[in-house]
Amino acid sequence: MTLLRMKSPKTKSLTKKQKVALFRNLVRADHFDKMMYRRMMQGKLIAFYHPGEGGLAPGVAACTFLRDDDNLSPHHRAHGMGHMLSKGVDLRYYLAEHTGKEDGCCKARSSFHYSFPDKKIYMMSGFIGYNFAPSVGWGWAAKRRGKGQVVMNCSGDGSYGQGRAHEAMLMAMNWKLPIIFFCENNGMAIHSTALEMHPTEDISSLAKGFDMPAAIVDGQDLFACAEIALAAIDRARNDLGPTFVEAKTYRFKEHDIGTPDLAGYKARTKEEHETMRKRDPLVLATERVLGDGVLTQAAIDKLHGEAEQEVKEAEEFADASAIARPSEAELMAAVYAQ
Amino acid sequence: MRELPLIEAIKEAYAEELRADETVFLIGQDIRGGIFPCTDGLVEEFGEDRVVDTPISECGMYGCAFGAAQEGFRPVVDFMFGSFSYVAFAEASVTTGQYHFLHGSQIPLPITITAGVGTGGRLANDHAMSIHGTFLHQPGIKVAMPSTPYDAKGLFKAAIRDNNPVVIPWHMGLMMERGHVPEEDYIVPLGVADVKRAGSDVTVIANSLALKHALKVADNLADEISVEVIDPRTFEPLDMDTILTSLTKTNRMVVVDEDWERCGFAGTLSARIMEQGFDLLDAPVTRVTLPNMPVPGGYMEPYIAPNPEKIEAAIRQVCA
Repeated sequence: MTLLRMKSPKTKSLTKKQKVALFRNLVRADHFDKMMYRRMMQGKLIAFYHPGEGGLAPGVAACTFLRDDDNLSPHHRAHGMGHMLSKGVDLRYYLAEHTGKEDGCCKARSSFHYSFPDKKIYMMSGFIGYNFAPSVGWGWAAKRRGKGQVVMNCSGDGSYGQGRAHEAMLMAMNWKLPIIFFCENNGMAIHSTALEMHPTEDISSLAKGFDMPAAIVDGQDLFACAEIALAAIDRARNDLGPTFVEAKTYRFKEHDIGTPDLAGYKARTKEEHETMRKRDPLVLATERVLGDGVLTQAAIDKLHGEAEQEVKEAEEFADASAIARPSEAELMAAVYAQ
Repeated sequence: MRELPLIEAIKEAYAEELRADETVFLIGQDIRGGIFPCTDGLVEEFGEDRVVDTPISECGMYGCAFGAAQEGFRPVVDFMFGSFSYVAFAEASVTTGQYHFLHGSQIPLPITITAGVGTGGRLANDHAMSIHGTFLHQPGIKVAMPSTPYDAKGLFKAAIRDNNPVVIPWHMGLMMERGHVPEEDYIVPLGVADVKRAGSDVTVIANSLALKHALKVADNLADEISVEVIDPRTFEPLDMDTILTSLTKTNRMVVVDEDWERCGFAGTLSARIMEQGFDLLDAPVTRVTLPNMPVPGGYMEPYIAPNPEKIEAAIRQVCA
């Protein structure tokens, strides 16, 4: 872990309870991600799915310790499910949305979007980088209220090509807003590599221009990610302003199911996949919790069993819900708020 | 009766709403100093938390308002010149209009979007474009535009109190136009047109600076043709009842709109008249709009933009 200009990081070693919470959420995120992949292949999801395997640790780490009144914009990969479940969202309603059902969180109007305002996850958009500009507003509101709320603004390396990212960093630093720019750099934006599309190896080098404290962390190490996320959250809560966190992670699968797995215009190599797979965050985290005596194998098996059950229940819930087919008049009545 | 210039009426609306509701705030660029007089001096009373200047970062500026609206605030975003809203157009139009509907109609998005617009200042396209038509095309956004100081105060107050995004540009050609503005609190509801002048031979639909022109033409023609002049005041929601009621009486219609002919409000209204009022028409609806060219600067605006001569010609054509 490299710390760049990180003032008073206050990094604490994680408690056993925190490690269990993190590990449990990573297990859940993994089961949900694999379920989505399976369902898409089975034709049981609408729209598309952008698998998250290999890159699920940073989002879980960023979100497991957020408060209900903290704002979150999840990374688009795995459709933010790891982020959202870590923040306490009941993903049954998202799966129902993703299957076009009446119980969907957006009343089945959105295809694959989500909105959980009670958890301060207001929206998603297909415009990559959409999250930066609203984050300024959430941070502005949090600062004005002065209750220690923070904004966890997660997005990938690709989104930092947006001018909106730079505008948000500028305004966040001007106003010392409690925003964490949490960059999950998996090195890939669809087929384009971050090394090709950015002039520097580290996206976090952008933070220097805004005098924003920044840190780089191993995104395959769930617990290292959590330590740095907690430090950044702590800074924001204590009105010390924004922090840039860059988690170096991977994307094991293709961009979205059905598109070729390319780097640039050539297939990613077997060797590259083998190298990535050696650093599977769930495998690494499992070794850590076993090695540190945090969990026994039996306890780990139990967590997997519970996650399987949770996923199964979510699928049953979504499948039991009726396909939403509101009339045109009903939809027209929903365009405006009263 | 107290008279104020239109720009001062807008400022009074801001001040009253800022005073009445802690969640209201203004955000823009150089609004504290008042690049236009509508915000000049408000920072002194309401402070920098509520009259907020940002860097020249339209997306970040608009996003700040958008996010704050989701958080329960009621921002007024001032883009200075309407054309500048296009810099943040993805956010201000598409994302804004779709937000409520697409995300399950769970929370409101009360944002007021404003800016100075229009021809007359010899400023050319990027300072002079109208924006109401472009925003009107986006579902989920209400669009209004004041023509008189009275309407300005009432419409701005209604926009700020509405639970939806409302785009409400004001025409720079009317900035110092004076008129009666009550000192008390009132609103002009969104979706209510106003018959600015009663007549019986032809209905002219016009708004903002074009309304001023239309009223002048109606005066000039008074001995010859009885012209009814209606200000829609809001383009969405649109008060079709008032318009059709007038058409029932006059059977002739001219739509004046300081926007391009192609895909504009005038075209939409003409089509609706054809669908809903075809049997009432004694002549085709005639439009007076900007020609489909970039808005020129220099000394060309007076004969390119909708002007009294063009409006009179259109009236004579439908009455022929």
